[in-house]
Amino acid sequence: MTQDASSANYKDYTLLSYHHISDVHKLDIFSKAGGYETMKKCFAMGPETIKEEVKGSGLRGRGGAGFPTGVKWGFFSKDRTQKKYLVCNADESEPGTFKDRYLVEKCPHLLIEGMIISAWALGVDKGYIYIRGEFYHQAKILEEAIQEAYSAGYLGHNICGQDFKFDLYVHRGAGAYICGEETGLLSSLEGKKGQPKLKPPFPAIKGYRGYPTMINNVESLAAIPWIMRFGAPAYKKWGTEKSAGTKLFSISGDVKKPGVIEVPLGIPLREIIEDYCGGVKGGNLKAVIPGGSSAPILTAAESMLATMDYEDIAARGSMLGSGAIIVLNDTRSMGEVLKWTLEFYHHESCGQCTPCREGTGWLDKIFKRAENGHGQASDIDLLDKVAANMRGRTICALADAAAMPTQGMIKAFRGELLTFIEGQGQEERGRKR
Amino acid sequence: MSSEIIADKKLVKFKWNDQVIEAPEGENLLQAALDNGIEVAHYCYHKGLPIAGVCRMCMVEQTPGPPRPFPSCNAIVAPEIAVRSDTPAVLEAVEWTLQFHLVNHPLDCPVCDQAGECGLQDYYMQHGQYNSAMEDQKVHKKKVQDIGRGVMLDAERCILCTRCTRFTEYVTGTYELGIVGRGDHAEITVHKELENDYAGNLVDICPVGALTSKDFRFKQRVWFLEDVATTCIGCETGCAVNISQNEVGVYRVLPKYDHEVNGHWICDDGRSIYKHVSGAGRLIGPLENKSNLFIPITESATANSLRGNSQKFILSASLTNEDYANFFSAFKGEKDHVALYRLPSMGKEFDGILKRSDKNANTRGAREAFAKAGMDHSETGLQDFLDNLNAQDVIYLVVPEIIYDEDHFMTLLKKINKAGKKVALTTTDNLQALDAFDYLLPLPTFLEKDGHLKNFQNRDRKLSAGRSYGASNRDIAFYANWLN
Repeated sequence: MTQDASSANYKDYTLLSYHHISDVHKLDIFSKAGGYETMKKCFAMGPETIKEEVKGSGLRGRGGAGFPTGVKWGFFSKDRTQKKYLVCNADESEPGTFKDRYLVEKCPHLLIEGMIISAWALGVDKGYIYIRGEFYHQAKILEEAIQEAYSAGYLGHNICGQDFKFDLYVHRGAGAYICGEETGLLSSLEGKKGQPKLKPPFPAIKGYRGYPTMINNVESLAAIPWIMRFGAPAYKKWGTEKSAGTKLFSISGDVKKPGVIEVPLGIPLREIIEDYCGGVKGGNLKAVIPGGSSAPILTAAESMLATMDYEDIAARGSMLGSGAIIVLNDTRSMGEVLKWTLEFYHHESCGQCTPCREGTGWLDKIFKRAENGHGQASDIDLLDKVAANMRGRTICALADAAAMPTQGMIKAFRGELLTFIEGQGQEERGRKR
Repeated sequence: MSSEIIADKKLVKFKWNDQVIEAPEGENLLQAALDNGIEVAHYCYHKGLPIAGVCRMCMVEQTPGPPRPFPSCNAIVAPEIAVRSDTPAVLEAVEWTLQFHLVNHPLDCPVCDQAGECGLQDYYMQHGQYNSAMEDQKVHKKKVQDIGRGVMLDAERCILCTRCTRFTEYVTGTYELGIVGRGDHAEITVHKELENDYAGNLVDICPVGALTSKDFRFKQRVWFLEDVATTCIGCETGCAVNISQNEVGVYRVLPKYDHEVNGHWICDDGRSIYKHVSGAGRLIGPLENKSNLFIPITESATANSLRGNSQKFILSASLTNEDYANFFSAFKGEKDHVALYRLPSMGKEFDGILKRSDKNANTRGAREAFAKAGMDHSETGLQDFLDNLNAQDVIYLVVPEIIYDEDHFMTLLKKINKAGKKVALTTTDNLQALDAFDYLLPLPTFLEKDGHLKNFQNRDRKLSAGRSYGASNRDIAFYANWLN
C-alpha cells in the first residue's frame, strides 16, 4: 500500500484518511499530506468558535458511552489562567476493541494534532496520553511522534508563534481494564491504585490532582482535525441525526476478513459483515456482540436488521459501545462465551464497590460450579437476579459491564445456557461414575 | 470538622420519607438524617473521614434528583428536596447490597468479638435476605493477623469499607494500611506494623469484626457491658470517653464524640487508663508495710499509729476540682504543709492530633485551687516542702492514678525518706514504688467519682461515677483532718 504522501483521502474517511500512506507516522510525511495545517488555521480562530464547531458536529464520545463531546467540553472551566488538564484515554481494553491501537500505530500525529487543537480550544497547557500498558510498541511510536512535534514547534512553548504552551506526555498503564474508566484512569495517572472515583464531582470540574480535567477517547480527539478542517455540516452529512459522522469498528470473530474499518454511523450491520468482512466464516451466523464484551448479545435475526448507530443498537437492548463487533457462528457455545466474559469481569473488578466486587465473583463462581458438575436449572434465574442487582448500584459501569452481557445472554439464549449448565454437570457426573 | 464549616450556613427544611427535617444547607445528606435520629444503613461513611461511597448501603431516591437510587453519603442537603429511603427500588438495592456484603463473609458470629455491635448483624435484622441465595465456595483470606499496636486483623470478615485505610491516610498520615488485590480477592493488609499512637481507633471504626482489639477480645460479650460517659485522665487534653464495665470489672475505653475537644478519636494511651480500676492490686482497705509485706490493717489502728505528728500532704495534679476544694476546706494545718506534685512532661507539647505533653489531667484546676487556698503549687514550693521534712512528720502522698515515668516518681520518693512515717493515698498497691511506704490508704479511682477537671483549653471536663470496685468511700478530704 505504498502511495504518495499527497494522496490523503478525505472523501471517504475522516479518521483513516491518512492510513493508506506508507510511513505516515513520520512527521514530514504526515505534514506533506496536509497534516497540522488545520491546527495552524485553528490558532486564528477563537477557542469558542472551535468549541461551537465541535458541538455542532454532533461528535459523540467514541470510548463507549457516546456522550456528546461538545457538551462535555461545555462543562469545562472557561478560565484560561486556571490549571487544567487534557487527558487522552488510550487505555483500550474492552475485549474485542482494537481501533485506537490502529489509529495510534499508523497515524499518531493525527491524535497529537487533535489534542493540540483541543488544548487550544479548552485553554489547557498540559496533556497526557494514558495508553494501555500492553501497547508498548504503540507507546513508543507516540513518544517518537511527540518528540518530532516538539522539534517542529507544535508542542512546548509559543506553539507556531502563538502565546500558547502545550506539553504532552505519554503515560503507560499497568494492565488494568478498569483504568479505561475515566476516573479510574485519573487515579492511576495520579500514582494511586486504579480505582474509579466517586461522582459528582465529575473530572471536568475536579479531576487529575483535583484540577479540572477533560478526558476524551483517542478516536474522539482524532476526529477533531477533520471536523475543524471541513466543518461541522460536512461531518454531519455522514451518519444519522443522533449519531453523526463516521466511526471505526473493530471486527473480530468468525468473519473472513476481520480488522478495523471506518464507515459512516447508521450502516447496516449486515453490510459490515457481508461486504466489508467477506461474510461469516466456518458456519452460519449465530449471534453478534455489537459493542465490545460488555454489550448484550444480538441474535442472528436481530443482527441482520440492526444498523450501527447509537439509537438503533440501544433500541435493540444492546449498545454501540466502543464499536467492537464480535461475530459468532453456529459452532460457538454461548455458555462458553458467557463463561469467559464473566471470568474476565471477575478478574478486572477493582473491588471497591460491594455489588461489583462480590457480584462479579459470584456470577463467575456459578459458572465454575457448573463446570465442576454441580450446575442446576435454577442457576439461570440466579444469574439473572444477581446481574440485575449489580446494575446501576456502583461508582462506575464495570458492574453493568458484567451484568448486561449476562442478562442479554439469558434473554437471547436461555435454552442453550440451560443445556450448557446442566449438560456440563451430567458430563461431569457421568465421568465420576 | 464539617459542622464547623457549615456552622454559619442557614438551616433548611426538607423531606425524608414522610418526615420534615431540618439541617444546614450543604450538609452531608446522610449525616443530616443521622443527626435527626433517622436510621440509615451505612458502613463506609464516617463523619470523621472523607467520603468513599463504596459500601452502597445508604441508598436513597430524591426528587428533584437522579433517576435511580444513589448513595446519600455523596449528596448534600438542599431546600425543598424530597428524599425517600423506603421506595421498593431503594429497599431492593439495600437488601441485595447486604446480600453481596455477606457473599464472602464467614458468618462466624458465635466466635466473633464484634457480635452485638456489628453492622452486618444490625442491618441483617432489617434488610437481610433470610434465605441466602449463595451456595458457592467462599473466598478465603488471611485470618488472625497481629498487625501491631494490639490490633488483630481478620481479612475474611472485612467488607472493604476502607474506613481503616482512610484513617491511617487522613487522620494519622502514617499510611500503614492498604488494600492489595482486586475484586473479591482484595484484602486489607499492612506494609509495616501499625506504628501510630491512635491505632485503637481502627478497631472502633471497623463496622464489622475484621479489626478487633487484642486487649478486649474474648474477655466479655458486649451485651453484658454498660457504658459510663466520662473523661480520660491520661493527659491534659481531657478526651470524652465511654468506659465499658459491668459487675465483674472494667473492660475497655472507647472515644465519645466531642466536637470541642477530641472529635471522634482518642489515643492509645487513653485506652489503658481503666486497668487499675478493677484490676489486680486494686486497693480496697488500709494496708500496713511489715518488712515489705503489706498486711491489711483497720483504719482506726492506722490512725492511732499516725497520731501526734504533723501531717503533711503532697497532692497529685489529676484530682478533681471538687477534690481540691473539699480537701482545702477540711485541712486545718499549716499552709506550707501541702504541696503539689506534677507528673513530668513527656513527648511533644502537642502531637498534632490529640496527645499533649502535660500528663496531669487537671494542672489548671489544681493550681487554681491551691492559689485560692493561699497554698504554693509551684515546683519550688514542692522543693521547699521536701527540704523542710523531718522525722516528726507524717507524709501523705497522693499517688497519681496513671504514672508514665516511674523513675521520676521514684526520685520523689527518695526525697520524702526524711519523714518519720510515709503514707500513700492510692487506688492500687500494684506498684513497685509503693514498697517505700509504711501505710497504703485507699482512694476512689477516677471512674468512681463525680467531678470536674480543667483541661488545656480551660474547659470543664466532667468525670462521672460508674460502678465502685473499691470497698472504701474515703476521698482525700477525709484524710485532710482525719486524726482530729
